[in-house]
Order: sequence, then C-alpha cells, then structure tokens
Amino acid sequence: MAVDTIDQPAKPAASQDSRFQRYRVRTGMFAWMAHRLSGVALVAYLVVHVWGLRALTDRASFNELIAGYHAPIFKIGEFLLLAAVVYHALNGLRIVLIDFLGWSPNQKRLFWSLGAVAAVLIGVGGYPTIYSLVEYFFLAA
Amino acid sequence: MASRAASTSNAQSWFLHRITGTFLIFMLITHFWVQHYDQQTATISHDVLSTEQIENDVLPGYTPEAEAAVEARFGETAEVTPYDVVMLRLADPVYAVLWKAFNILFLIVALHHGFYGLNNVMSDYIRNPMARKTAKVLSWSLALVLLVVGMYSVLVAGW
Repeated sequence: MAVDTIDQPAKPAASQDSRFQRYRVRTGMFAWMAHRLSGVALVAYLVVHVWGLRALTDRASFNELIAGYHAPIFKIGEFLLLAAVVYHALNGLRIVLIDFLGWSPNQKRLFWSLGAVAAVLIGVGGYPTIYSLVEYFFLAA
Repeated sequence: MASRAASTSNAQSWFLHRITGTFLIFMLITHFWVQHYDQQTATISHDVLSTEQIENDVLPGYTPEAEAAVEARFGETAEVTPYDVVMLRLADPVYAVLWKAFNILFLIVALHHGFYGLNNVMSDYIRNPMARKTAKVLSWSLALVLLVVGMYSVLVAGW
C-alpha cells in the first residue's frame, strides 16, 4: 500500500527471536494496521448483522432482536462500530485517491488531516449514543 | 507458480476491491441516514434498555413523528414497535422495491468487499498452502450462506 513515510534510514534487521516479526510502528504502518484491524472487525460485524436480520421476516423475533440491541453493551458497540466504519472509510478513500490519482502528497499530513475529519465525524455522529449512555449510567434517577 | 491468468485475476480483484470500497462509502451513508437520522423511519432509537427492561419486553421508544406516521398508516390503535416502523417504510410499494433492490446490491457489494479483504489478511498470515486453501473455501462459503440468507430476509420482509 502506498503509504510509506520514510523519514529516517532503515535500521539493519534485528535478529528474529520469535515467529513474529518486530515492526517499527510509524504513521504509515499505524494506518495500515488500524485499517486491517477495523476491516476484520467490520467483517465480524457484517456476519452478525446479516445473520441477525433473518428476524426481519417475523414481528415478535424482530422486536426482540432490536430490543436486545439497545442493551448498554450493544450501544457501546454501536459507537465503536461508528469509529471503525469512519476510520476504515476515510483511510480507504485515502488509499483509493493515492492509487488511482497517482497522488503523492505529504503522506503524513494527509493522514492526520483525514484523522481530524474522522474525529469530527465520530464525535458528531456518536454524540447521541454517548449522551444516552451517559444518561443511562450516570444520570438515571 | 503465478500464471498469467492468476495474476490478471488478482489485478482485477485488487481493482474491484477499490471500486466496491468507494461504492460502500456512498451506500453506507444512505443506509445510516435511513436507519438513524430520518425522524419518521429511523429504526434505531437512542434508548438504552436495562437487562430487566429487555426481559420484560420493553421496546425502545420512537420519535413523535414516527408514532404519528405509524398511526396514520396502520390506524389509531397500531402499536409503535421497531417492526412497525420498518413496515411503515415497506408499506409504500415504490419505496419497498427501491429498498429491496438497494439492500440486495448493498449486501452483494459489502460481502464481496469484506470477504475479499478478509482473504487478503488471512493469506498474509496463513503460510501452509493447504490451510490457506481451506480458509479461502470456508470463508467464501460463509459469504455465500450470508448472501442467500440476507437476500431471503430482504425479499420476504413485509410481503
């Protein structure tokens, strides 16, 4: 993926003492790892989501399913889902722009600019969920 | 071992992954809007329910707009439950057909993007060729099952 941000010469490879490679995590590597992790999480969510919506064919089980999704743990999950989607979408868009338009912008600045956009979207989009969770846990009479 | 046909197919998949990803951004915005932000038809409300409430069949509440719309469509005595709010959308035949078409397309694109991505990740970490093949077959089988189940749910809903 075209997200390499070399700002220091590569150090000689350290001797590998486990089957896992040790990486130096810099901006590009962080972007790639977070993209991967959020992607796998989103596939897991997609499986649960599509499988759960079998209930759409029956009134009682659909209402039961939706009520269950309003439990605190799922509301927290809903916020995390938003964060994963927004990150994956914006970083994915960055990859597409670079791959298709041959962009070679200042990679780090582009990444952190999109990071700021992501933070705003997550904050605004997640506000109602966070508000209702705070209300549930701390303000409930 | 990489034949010309295989590398062409890989390049096409790589290209397609970017196309489906771009499509998904727009489809997700539409999906989110319908599910969360339309005052009349949002199926997801912001209520948080305790375990006790869920056990006692308490359902999440909806906006006055949604309640009014359900009652206008299904009668004064209609209950305003999550199912009825979805049915409110599907009660309009034009919307229902559009919704079904959109969701089937969305399902196909999301499953392809997700499972192609998952296979990329898996082939990076699974070194044994046999295990890699097995993971590939199993994951795409799961995708196929989800496609069939998902399409069935979308088509049958409200009919």
